[in-house]
Amino acid sequence: MSCSDDSTKEKLLWNVKKEVKQIMEEAVTRKFVHEDSSHIIALCGVVEACLLHLLKRRAAGFLRSDKVAALFMKVAKTCATAADICKKVQDLQQQVDGRKNFSGGQESLKRQNSTTGRTVTLTPQALKHIWVRTALIEKVLDKIVQYIVDNSSKYYEKEALMSDPVCGPILAVLLVGPCALEYTKLKTADHYWTDPSADELVQRHRIHGAHTRQDSSPCKRPALGIKKRHSSGSMSEDKFAASAREYVESLHQNSRIHLLYGKNNVLVQPKEDMEAIPGYLSLHQCGENLTLKWTPNQLLNGTLGDSELEKSVFWDYALIVPISQIVCIHCHQQPESKGVLVLVSQDGIQRPPLHFPPGGHLLAFLSCLENGLLPRGQLEPPLWSQRGKGKVFPKLRKRNSSNRSVDFDDNVVEEVSTDYVFRIIYAGHKHENITINYHHLAASRSVSVDDDEEEEDRLHAMLSMISSRNLTAPKMMKDTGDIIEMQGFGANLLPWQLNEYCSQGSSCLSCSTGSSPYDMSSCCACVHDRTPLKLLCENMKRQIVSRAFYGWLAYCRHLSTVRTHLSALVHHSIIPPDKPSDASGGLTKEVWSKYQKDMKNYKELELLRLVYYGGVEHDIRKEVWPFLLGHYKFGMTKKEMDRVDEAIASRYQKVMAEWKACEVIVKQREKESHSAIYAKLSSGSSIDSHVQRLIHRDSTISNDVFMSTEEIDVTDRDLKCRTDKTSTHTTVAGTPSAIVAAEPQQSVEFDSPDSGLPSSRNYSVTSGILSSIDDQQSICFEEDESSTESDRTEMSLGPPQKTKGILKMQDSICEEQLCSQLEYLNNSEDISSMCPTSYTIELLDTIALNLHRIDKDVQRCDRNYWYFTSDNLEKLRNIMCSYVWEHLDVGYVQGMCDLLAPLMVVLDNDLMAYSCFTHLMKRMSQNFPNGGAMDTHFANMRSLIQILDSELFELMHQNGDYTHFYFCYRWFLLDFKRELLYEDVFAVWEVIWAARQISSEHFVLFIALALVQVYREIVRDNNMDFTDIIKFFNEMAEHHDAQLILRIARELVHKVQTLIENK
Amino acid sequence: MAGETAGGEPGAAAGTPERREHLFKVLVIGELGVGKTSIIKRYVHQLFSQHYRATIGVDFALKVINWDSKTLVRLQLWDIAGQERFGNMTRVYYKEAVGAFVVFDVTRGSTFEAITKWKSDLDSKLHLPNGGAIPAILLANKCDQKREYSVQSPAQMDNFCKENGFVAWFETSAKDNVNIDEAARCLVDNILTNFKNFPVEENDVGSVQLDQEAIPAESKSQCC
Repeated sequence: MSCSDDSTKEKLLWNVKKEVKQIMEEAVTRKFVHEDSSHIIALCGVVEACLLHLLKRRAAGFLRSDKVAALFMKVAKTCATAADICKKVQDLQQQVDGRKNFSGGQESLKRQNSTTGRTVTLTPQALKHIWVRTALIEKVLDKIVQYIVDNSSKYYEKEALMSDPVCGPILAVLLVGPCALEYTKLKTADHYWTDPSADELVQRHRIHGAHTRQDSSPCKRPALGIKKRHSSGSMSEDKFAASAREYVESLHQNSRIHLLYGKNNVLVQPKEDMEAIPGYLSLHQCGENLTLKWTPNQLLNGTLGDSELEKSVFWDYALIVPISQIVCIHCHQQPESKGVLVLVSQDGIQRPPLHFPPGGHLLAFLSCLENGLLPRGQLEPPLWSQRGKGKVFPKLRKRNSSNRSVDFDDNVVEEVSTDYVFRIIYAGHKHENITINYHHLAASRSVSVDDDEEEEDRLHAMLSMISSRNLTAPKMMKDTGDIIEMQGFGANLLPWQLNEYCSQGSSCLSCSTGSSPYDMSSCCACVHDRTPLKLLCENMKRQIVSRAFYGWLAYCRHLSTVRTHLSALVHHSIIPPDKPSDASGGLTKEVWSKYQKDMKNYKELELLRLVYYGGVEHDIRKEVWPFLLGHYKFGMTKKEMDRVDEAIASRYQKVMAEWKACEVIVKQREKESHSAIYAKLSSGSSIDSHVQRLIHRDSTISNDVFMSTEEIDVTDRDLKCRTDKTSTHTTVAGTPSAIVAAEPQQSVEFDSPDSGLPSSRNYSVTSGILSSIDDQQSICFEEDESSTESDRTEMSLGPPQKTKGILKMQDSICEEQLCSQLEYLNNSEDISSMCPTSYTIELLDTIALNLHRIDKDVQRCDRNYWYFTSDNLEKLRNIMCSYVWEHLDVGYVQGMCDLLAPLMVVLDNDLMAYSCFTHLMKRMSQNFPNGGAMDTHFANMRSLIQILDSELFELMHQNGDYTHFYFCYRWFLLDFKRELLYEDVFAVWEVIWAARQISSEHFVLFIALALVQVYREIVRDNNMDFTDIIKFFNEMAEHHDAQLILRIARELVHKVQTLIENK
Repeated sequence: MAGETAGGEPGAAAGTPERREHLFKVLVIGELGVGKTSIIKRYVHQLFSQHYRATIGVDFALKVINWDSKTLVRLQLWDIAGQERFGNMTRVYYKEAVGAFVVFDVTRGSTFEAITKWKSDLDSKLHLPNGGAIPAILLANKCDQKREYSVQSPAQMDNFCKENGFVAWFETSAKDNVNIDEAARCLVDNILTNFKNFPVEENDVGSVQLDQEAIPAESKSQCC
């Protein structure tokens, strides 16, 4: 009874602790706690749960449903503070009731209005916890709770939490903090308390950063549990006491660590010459790491001597075993059904046997362990589940029938069915586990290889290197330094190693010490107690060596895979930041002007090195970028550069002319299809159509006034480009007149059936007999002709005879061609050179689609950035359309505008931007749907993270598996353009470009890695899943420290380079 | 992370949970430039701006609704870029969504034509536990503007919804705040109905939390 009561109390208190922590965190990061914060409600809930724990019936009031209210009322009789709260709560309740009656049926309306938050609105949750909540917000909850604790006998049963001499006061003290906070009614921006924003997460991390790091270190590094404990004997006394308290606390469940299993009176014989002593065995889960702890009873109950020194002896006995180090579990069930369990770690060390008391505890432990290992790992063979009984030991074949491939010893012991060997297997790490398979029967193995002393020495060297690290953890590849170090390890370490293993080996003897000698031979496989110690050591040595060899082999293989994979990602020669000179200053104006004066003495690579390590001074970016992007080549003379410019200029003009011609036709077609449909609709009733028309006209007007809609923009642009052309060919029609001329034409076509021009609308409305497509076409045709005429007049170009002539040449359906040819006539003197190809319908559709997409995105491209005035947006559109016209197979894909925009800002020149963009897109277009680069990026990210940060990788894998790395999509698609501020985009881009020749063609990968690394603790501590991480990085956009990220990225490249260099 | 501090959790610890809290993932899809982001910003932040950028990949917004005295609904709106229709990524984006808005632009007929493609993409990648399609609502956005003539009559639209498995359709305007709240209410209503019919599918964060709480408590009791 008492045990379950204690654990209930503990749990209740734990809940309060958790919520108090949450609310204090919120208070720190937000400077205030909002009254509607769900943390308040949560805290109220857990406090109430404590208050209600074993509350006396009498105190609760027999009939009252709200026990908390009853308690408060009762307390109020003798406690003035509580009386105040009672009054406040009653007032509040009256207010709420009053409003409810008043609003009555308008519930739904009220809900909408309540977002404006005028009066004291209480959420139903707040109402439910109104008593505790009010006391909390009035900052007296701690006092009231203290009062109740002081007088607990009045209200509570003896076993209640509040009556508990320890728990009760703790609760009161816990609440002091929250009662000192300010609670506010101010609404947050979106009227509701929401999840912590990315900013907040980052801030929280800063506050707790140091603390968490300490916390995580044992998880990160495979701790050498037992050895560490031994060294603890030298600790100073008071430091020791503190750590002891910490340790005992760590045995309890807390927010980070779950207790999976706990069993007292598990016997362990800590030393050979000692009797087995009882202790508390527990299995803890921290994230994905399982840890087994055994703590001698003496440490737990504190009964044994006050002398800290005496205790410290027991500290040495305590066990902490990370399950990740364990590969094998040996179970020996003895006749009197005591269970003995021996853990064997991958370095072959047997942990002291754990003797479970009789009664299925061993099995219970195994099944808890098995559950804890899931989903990543499992026991092999797995426990069998049996209906009604739960888990049972598997019924096994004899061990010799098992087909483990790397099983050295074919000698098989007679196994009693109650002895088991379980292996712990992790998904995806199988091969590594095979190599470190444990064989505990080495005693009978033949001696053959080891005669050669030299060979032995070499193996010893390997052994020492392997035993010094955790083989199964791929993160060991992190430090290349270690690999070199390992070569240096000689046999000098061997004696120590041997001693270590021998002592462990002898502790294995104790496997059987607990039981009678009679059981020993049959139950315990460790028969070496009869073997001379020397031979035992020999054999231990041998098996360790063989295991070491296979471990080393696996390690080498893994390393070679990694190496081949990574070697493709970076350049093998390292170009340092400090030779020949310090490059951190970047490419300055000074250096650049020197280069321009004396090109021959400057090597391209040296300039790029400056850019890579220090960036480009902003003033000269305009000049340098064309070189970086490949528009110019380093070392070009002025003349050569001019030639390049000329070539680009003529190409750009040609392309512009082509797509603009096509655009006119596309626009025309759109108008036609509009009017054709309109004709259909309106053919029913001319009056109706007239009304409709009026409405449309109205809406257009309103559009004009309130917002620039897309269509108007387009028309505008259309006009402008026509104007451009007009001005190139004739001086008669000036810019303003052209617009004036065009504007009525447009309005005529859409809105005025009474105008003199024969538009299709006119026909449709007046004739009212349009039903067949043929008819429509003929109308379109006529309309076309009319518009052609208007074009002609507008531009005062293109003799009518010529137009007519071409018209005759075409088949009747090709009215579009007429237009195009007309455009060509207008734009070029030499018709034959333009070779007017006829546009297919598909092509026109494609163009229309692309134009529309471009327009949509151009309009909303970085409208908040000063550079993008409508003039510059127009230029952006021209460049984009030209590029897309040349790459219609890919077409326009969202994001291309984002790539062009920074180029335009820096270069501020259409031609240059067009050329540079074309160069940039050679690489970037591969990221868009038609290229395969995005998937390659994701795959590379996957292997890099797996190698460089396996802990994070595992977390990504476990939280819904987002190791597809789709959260990096936008990063790669736009070279981080959306993640950074403009200034930073410039800086990052030039480094990416320079990196191609300096360090890596895949520098973006390393920037992405750097981004992940900078926030890895936040990602880990918040256990982020895909949604969380993508949300986090979306919110963090433009808040990154670009210089830091670049620095880390360069370091990462360097790290990989050194890894490869050291093959 | 969302909803981890759900209000229902402490309630559950104290007794029976009175107020249920739901977290629903809702997709907003449709051709580029139809106003998906605008609709979301209008709905969540009650504002309209001309200054949104094109969405690349996906964006998020969270809307908390006090549905009734017993239900709090958090809508996690996934604003998926208009050009992401094809490819494996949408599959990942769609995962675990329980409702969708499919948006088109009444001023552009082609965006309406694309609706069926979006809907079939959605249905092919996402199912309810009973195998049915998740509730989807058709939004005819920008109704404050001049309509393109090909847009159909209300009767035709009703028919279209029936044929293509849309729960309902609304004419909306993010600019003038027309019908957006109504559409959302309709969708949540449908989601909640589904949720009640298939309570097995736990979207309810509160009770998921409960399950997790139960495990350590249970194994702990073994010490006695």
